Amino acid sequence: MSQSDTAIHIRGLRKALGASFALGPLSLEIPRGTIWALVGPNGAGKTTLLNLLMGVVSPDGGEASLLGHDVHTEDVDIKRQVAFVSPDLNYSAWGTVGRTIDFVSAFYPDWDEERCERLQLQFGLQRSERIDALSFGARVKLSALLALARNPEVLLLDEPTIGLDPLARQLLFTELLGFMQDETRAIVISSHQLNELERLADHVAILSAGQLVASGAVPELLQRYVQLDVVLKQDRLIRRPGLKLLAWDGERARLLLDRATVEPQSLKSLDVEVIEERALTLEELFVGLIRNGNGYWRQRGMVGA
Amino acid sequence: MSTSPLAMRLGPISAAGPGTLYQQIVEALKREVAAGRLAPGTALPSFRVLAQELLVSLITVKRAYEELERAGIIYRRQGLGTFVAERGHDRTRAVQRARALEALTAAVRAGREAGMSNRELQQALRQALSQLTGHDEHTREAV
Repeated sequence: MSQSDTAIHIRGLRKALGASFALGPLSLEIPRGTIWALVGPNGAGKTTLLNLLMGVVSPDGGEASLLGHDVHTEDVDIKRQVAFVSPDLNYSAWGTVGRTIDFVSAFYPDWDEERCERLQLQFGLQRSERIDALSFGARVKLSALLALARNPEVLLLDEPTIGLDPLARQLLFTELLGFMQDETRAIVISSHQLNELERLADHVAILSAGQLVASGAVPELLQRYVQLDVVLKQDRLIRRPGLKLLAWDGERARLLLDRATVEPQSLKSLDVEVIEERALTLEELFVGLIRNGNGYWRQRGMVGA
Repeated sequence: MSTSPLAMRLGPISAAGPGTLYQQIVEALKREVAAGRLAPGTALPSFRVLAQELLVSLITVKRAYEELERAGIIYRRQGLGTFVAERGHDRTRAVQRARALEALTAAVRAGREAGMSNRELQQALRQALSQLTGHDEHTREAV
């Protein structure tokens, strides 16, 4: 892939936060023209990753660039071409919705006043509303409005759906798909709930405990992983990469298998009889990948051979 | 010929519907072409526009278009757009026929496994046909 087709390039990126949490090392390539869902349970590192990309925090190592600009040394270029949507952005200094819009719009030469007015109407935001009195959902809407009206090339959204009712979420998603009519753009949108983004995102990056456990185009991921119900002929399962125990009772076990690592046929040599092989929904894959399989394993007294 | 946007003609593309969202788009577009409601040469929206109208991911519509193109039902011209193929109508009919014959064969096989005789199977087919015909007449009367 040539540099110009890449919206976001991440290689070996890592950041420790305190003694107990470390993000990465992460590597990920996000091409232009795609919408990525960045999903993972609370505390997986989604916000840390977005903050690293926006240059809000600096990495301990590795590299990251947006549109070819290094996130650390060229943050001015990034802030011009990349917009960030977060309920945490604080506009209270400007007092009202109208004054915030006036202030932010003055910074951006590509400001789309028409889109701004249309979104105000659709999101039900009044210019006279006080920032301090805005609900959580209204803060997200204002943040999204300010980002979309700027006409950025890359849009990063941190958990934007949390405070939105289903109607507002649909409005936002329609706007995001409208934004993507220009195929040189890219969107990364984070959530701890995959099902909310399943209809919007064409690519998924799944974070768990600071690590990227899977990433890629949705149909490819669904091809790659399979659920297996098996009979264990011996009392134990061999632990190996690409196999994860989802459930176990008596001689029956349910496994999540990564076809890129293990061939389902190769299980025969492990003295395992495959009863059923089934595809997963994205939600099932997400839950299967982020659950702590090893803890479960130990809890059930099941130790790999 | 009606001029509703394609998204309206495809009907609701819903997680509550049968199959995946992309399969629903493929089936709905085949249905419209087979019924002649989308004439050969009709220009279709770009996959990005249709994704926004249906509120589904870009890859969902892209996959549906790719599958329809492989089946010869639609075609793409670089820089011009996507169109309903000249023989798309025949092709969807042919595919539908093949699928019907396949389903019939499977039904016969299931009947055999259930110990049904040829006569019983023929009777069952006649019964199904008369039920369907009765249903059709009923619908016509209602209209």
